[in-house]
Amino acid sequence: MAKYIVRRLLGAIPVLLGLSFILFAFIHLLPGDPAAAILGQHATPERTEELRHNLGLDRPLIEQYLSYMGGLLQLDFGKSLINNRPVLDEFLIRFPGTIELTVAALIFAAGLGIPFGRFAARHAQAMGDGAVSVISLLGISVPIFVLGYTLQYIFAVQLHWLPATGRIDPRLGLELHTNLILIDSLIDQNWPAFVSGLQHLILPAIALGTIPFAIITRITRASVLDVNNEDYVRTARAKGLKEKRVDSRHIMRNAWLPVITVIGLQVGGLLAGAVITETVFAWNGVGAWVVDAIKDHDYFVVQSTILLFALIFLVVNLVVDIGYAFLNPRIRYV
Amino acid sequence: MSLLQVDDLIVRFRTHEGAVYAVNGVSFELEAGETLGLVGESGCGKSVTSLAIMRLLPKPAGRVEGGRVVFDGTELLSLKEEEMRDLRGKDIAMIFQDPMTSLNPVLTVEEQMVETVRAHRKIEREAARQRAVELLAMVGIPHPEDRLRSFPHQFSGGMRQRVMIAMALALQPKLLIADEPTTALDVTIQAQVLELLRDLTTTSGTAAILITHDLGVVAGMTQRINVMYAGYIVEAATTAELFAHPSHPYTVGLLHSIPRLDAAGGEALIPIEGRPPDQREAPVGCPFAPRCAWRVEACWRENPPLVAIPTSGTAGARVQHRIACHNPPTPEEAVAGHPLRSDFHAAPPPGSVVDELAASEPLVDGVAVFPQDAPVTFDRQEGPSTPLYGAAGLPLPPEEDERR
Amino acid sequence: MSAITRPLGSARPVDTRRSHGLWGDALRRLVRNGPALLGMFCIALFVGAAVFAPLIAPFDPTVGKLADKFLPPGTGGHIWGTDLQGRDLFSRVLYGARISLVVGVMSVTVGLAIGGSWGAIAGAVGGRVDSVMMRVVDVLLAIPGILLAIGVVAWLGQGLPQVMLAVAVANAPIFARLLRGSMLSVRESDFVIAGRSVGVPGSRLLLRHMLPNALTPLIVAATLALATAIIDVAGLGFLGLGPADPRTPEWGSMLTDASGYIRTAAWVVFFPGVAIVISAIGFNLLGDGLRESLDPRLKR
Repeated sequence: MAKYIVRRLLGAIPVLLGLSFILFAFIHLLPGDPAAAILGQHATPERTEELRHNLGLDRPLIEQYLSYMGGLLQLDFGKSLINNRPVLDEFLIRFPGTIELTVAALIFAAGLGIPFGRFAARHAQAMGDGAVSVISLLGISVPIFVLGYTLQYIFAVQLHWLPATGRIDPRLGLELHTNLILIDSLIDQNWPAFVSGLQHLILPAIALGTIPFAIITRITRASVLDVNNEDYVRTARAKGLKEKRVDSRHIMRNAWLPVITVIGLQVGGLLAGAVITETVFAWNGVGAWVVDAIKDHDYFVVQSTILLFALIFLVVNLVVDIGYAFLNPRIRYV
Repeated sequence: MSLLQVDDLIVRFRTHEGAVYAVNGVSFELEAGETLGLVGESGCGKSVTSLAIMRLLPKPAGRVEGGRVVFDGTELLSLKEEEMRDLRGKDIAMIFQDPMTSLNPVLTVEEQMVETVRAHRKIEREAARQRAVELLAMVGIPHPEDRLRSFPHQFSGGMRQRVMIAMALALQPKLLIADEPTTALDVTIQAQVLELLRDLTTTSGTAAILITHDLGVVAGMTQRINVMYAGYIVEAATTAELFAHPSHPYTVGLLHSIPRLDAAGGEALIPIEGRPPDQREAPVGCPFAPRCAWRVEACWRENPPLVAIPTSGTAGARVQHRIACHNPPTPEEAVAGHPLRSDFHAAPPPGSVVDELAASEPLVDGVAVFPQDAPVTFDRQEGPSTPLYGAAGLPLPPEEDERR
Repeated sequence: MSAITRPLGSARPVDTRRSHGLWGDALRRLVRNGPALLGMFCIALFVGAAVFAPLIAPFDPTVGKLADKFLPPGTGGHIWGTDLQGRDLFSRVLYGARISLVVGVMSVTVGLAIGGSWGAIAGAVGGRVDSVMMRVVDVLLAIPGILLAIGVVAWLGQGLPQVMLAVAVANAPIFARLLRGSMLSVRESDFVIAGRSVGVPGSRLLLRHMLPNALTPLIVAATLALATAIIDVAGLGFLGLGPADPRTPEWGSMLTDASGYIRTAAWVVFFPGVAIVISAIGFNLLGDGLRESLDPRLKR
C-alpha cells in the first residue's frame, strides 16, 4: 500500500512539471509581447521596454524558466500586475467561496446521482435506459449559464423561494474567519447567517452540479448493473442471503469502485464550471476574479489560477486513487 | 421417497431475438446421499436446470414455464421467495465453476463464510468464525485461522475452490449442486478437488448433483448419470451401465471424443461433427438428428421419448437404462463409434433434393466435390438425396458467419 | 475449423436483405434511430437558421432603436421581442447561429488537425517519442477544456478567431488520444505488418490503411465535439471573452448583456439559451446515433 502511494506521488511529478512548463510557454514562447499587451493602448516603446525589464522578460528564456520554477517551489506565484499583491494571497482570499460552491455541487451531484443510479439499475427493466439517457443528454447539452438563469428565473424571480445572487444577505453582519460562510456562521453560532448562506448556495450548487449529477447517475447505474451480473452475486444469493444484504455488501461494495473514480474526475470540471457559475450568480470566488484578470491582462493571475486548479485536480485524484486502493483489496494487497 | 424429484421441467429465456428453448421437459430423481451426474456440452441446459432448481435463473429473461421440483417433500417452484431463501445455502448449496469470480473480491473469506452461517443460524459472530475455521480445516486449507483473514485473490485457484466447498457445506446441506466445479482448475488440482468433494459428500451423506461436460470427471464420482442434449435428457443410466453400454448416439459420440488410456493402439478419437442446434427455434424432431450418423427418417419428424431399454444387469428401478432414440446403435456399433451395416445411410433431411450440381469432379461414394464459388442450385422436393458437406472456406449465410 | 455438416432442411433461409456496404448500412440504421432523427432535426433547424439568416431575419441584428428597447415578444413586429438596445432578438438569434456554426465547425476542424496529427504521429512513431508526446496530452487533459480555452483567450486576447483557436486547443487533446489509439491498433494489425514486410513504404501504409480505420470513431468524436464546441464558444462569450465587437450577435454574449434584466425581460435570456441547448442536443443525439449505427456490433 505504501509502495502504491509513493508510486502514485512520483507519477504526479512529471505531470506537474509539464503543466508548469506549458503555462510558462503560454506567456513566453507564443508570438506577441506580454508587456505590450499589458500596456495596451498606453504602450510606448520606452514604457514597454521598461516593463519588459521589470518583469524580467529581457532575460534569457532558460533563466526566466528557472526563476519561475524556483518561485513555484517557494509557493511564489508572482504578483498581480494590477495591484502588485502576491497572487497566492489574493487566490487564498477568494478560494473559500469556490470551495464552498464546488463542494456543495459535488454533494448535490453524488448525493442525488448515486441513489438515482441505484434506483435506475434496480428498476432497469421497467425504466429501460430512457430516463437516465434523457438526464445524461440534458446534463451535457444545457450549459451552466443557461441552467443557472433558468433556475434564477423560476426559483428567485417567479417563486421568490431563494435568492438569485450573492453568497449571503449583506444585511446580516457576519464576521469572516475562514471565508467559508457556512463554517464561519457555525463558529459564531450565527443561525440567520447560516440559513442565508445555505439559501444562497442552493441554486448555484444545482447549476454547477447538474453535469456531474448526470455523469454519476449514469456510471452508478452501469456499475450496479455490471456487478449484478457477477458470479459472486449469484453465489451470495445461492447462500440464502437476504436481498438487502446482497445489495449492500456484495453489490454496492464492488459497484462503488468505478463511481468513486468518476467522482474524483468531476473535480476538474467543477472547478472550471465554477468560473461560469460564479459569474452567473455574482458569487465571490476565484472564478469571477480570474475572468476580471483576463480582461485586465493580468497574466500571472490567470497563469497561476490555472496551475492551482490543475494542482487541486491532481491532488484530489491522487487522494481518490488512494482511497480506491484502500477500498479495493486487490490493489491494497498486491 | 426421493430427496429431489424434477418433473417435466421447462425453462425458456426471453431475449431480444425471441425465446431460447433452454430446458425442454427434463425429469429425474435423486435419492438422499446419492450422487448424480448431469453431463453434456455447454448450452445443453444442465446449468440452467440447476439454477431453476435453486430458483436463481437470471431475471427477468429466464423463466420456468412448466414442471415441478419437489425437494424433501416441498414443491420449490411455488414457494414464497423468503421460504426459498431459507432453503438456499442451508438445505441446498451450490458450487460454481470459477472460484475466482464466484467469491466476492472485496470481502475477506471470513466475512463471506461467517455471513453464510449467520444467515441461517442465530449464533454469535465468534461462534460462526470458529465454525469457519473448522470448515477450512476440513477442506484441507493449512493455517485456517490466518487464512480466514485473507481475500479471495490471495488464494490459488484450487484453494479458492476449497473455500467455496467449505462455504457450501457450512450448514450441512442435504443436497449439493456442483456446477463444473473443476473446469476452471489445473488438471493436477482437478483430481484433488474431486476427491475432496467425494470424501465430504460420502462422509456427511450429502446428496450431490455434479454438472460437467467431461464424462471423465463423473466416472469415479457418481452413481448415476443423465446425459443432456439441447435441453433434453437423452440417456439416463447408472454410471457403470452407461460406460459399459452407451446406447444413445450422442453418448457414444461423447465417449469416443475423450482420450482414454485403455484405448487399443491406433484407435482414433472421433469428434462429434457439427454444433449443437440453435435453441432459438422450437425443436422439431430429434435435436441430435443433424449430427447423428444413425438417424432414420423418423428422427427428422418426431422427438423420441425417453424410454427404458433392456439392461444386462438385474432387473429393477436402480439399474434402469433409458434412452431417447429411434435407432440406437448396437453394442458393436457403440464400440466402433459409427454404424456398421454397409447398407445403412443416415436419413437425409426431408424436402431437399439436389437438382443441379456444378461439380467439377465425378460423384464418389455419394460425395460431390465442388470447386469454391461453384454455382449450386437446389430445389426443395420430397425424396431421397445426399446431405451437403461444407468444408472450411465455403461461405456460409451471413448470420452464420457472424456467430462463429 | 472442422468440416461442417449442414442439412439443407434445417438451414435457415439466407438473409435476402442486401448489404449496402458499411456506409449504406450505417445510414439505414441511422434513419431508423428515433433519437438520431430528432438530433438531425435540431441540426437542420440550427444549420438552416445559420444559412438562411439574411433571408429570414426581419431586422438588422446589430442595429436597434433605443426607443424600442425591451419590447416583449410579439410587439412591433418583433416576434421574439427586442433587447436592451432595441435590437430584434429573433434576427440576432438567427445570425448567432451563423457565428456558432462557423466558429464551432472551424474550432473542431482545427482541433482535429492539431490534435489528430499530434496523436497520429505519436502513434505512428511509437517508442519514447510517443510517450513524451502523450505525456503532454495527459497534462492538457488535466486542465478542464473550458479552462484551457480561457487560458488561450487570456493570452491571445478577445475576438472570434481567438475563441475559435481557444476551443480548438481545448478539443485537441481528445482527438490526439483517439487517433493515437486507432493508430496503435492498426499498427499491430496483420495487414499493416504484412504490408511492411513486403516493403510498402510507411507513409503510404499510414494513409492507405491507418486513417480509414480511424475514421469511424473520429466521425463520432467530431460530432460530439461540435456540441461541446458550441457550448464552449457560448461560454467564452458569456464570460465576456467572446467577439471583440460587442455588437456581434453571439449567443453567449447575448446572455451576458441580458443578465441584469432577467426580472424584467426574461425573453432576452430565454431565446438565445434555447438556441444553444437545441444545437447542443442536436449534435449530441446525432453523435450517439452515429456511434450506434457505425458500429455494427452494437446493433440489436
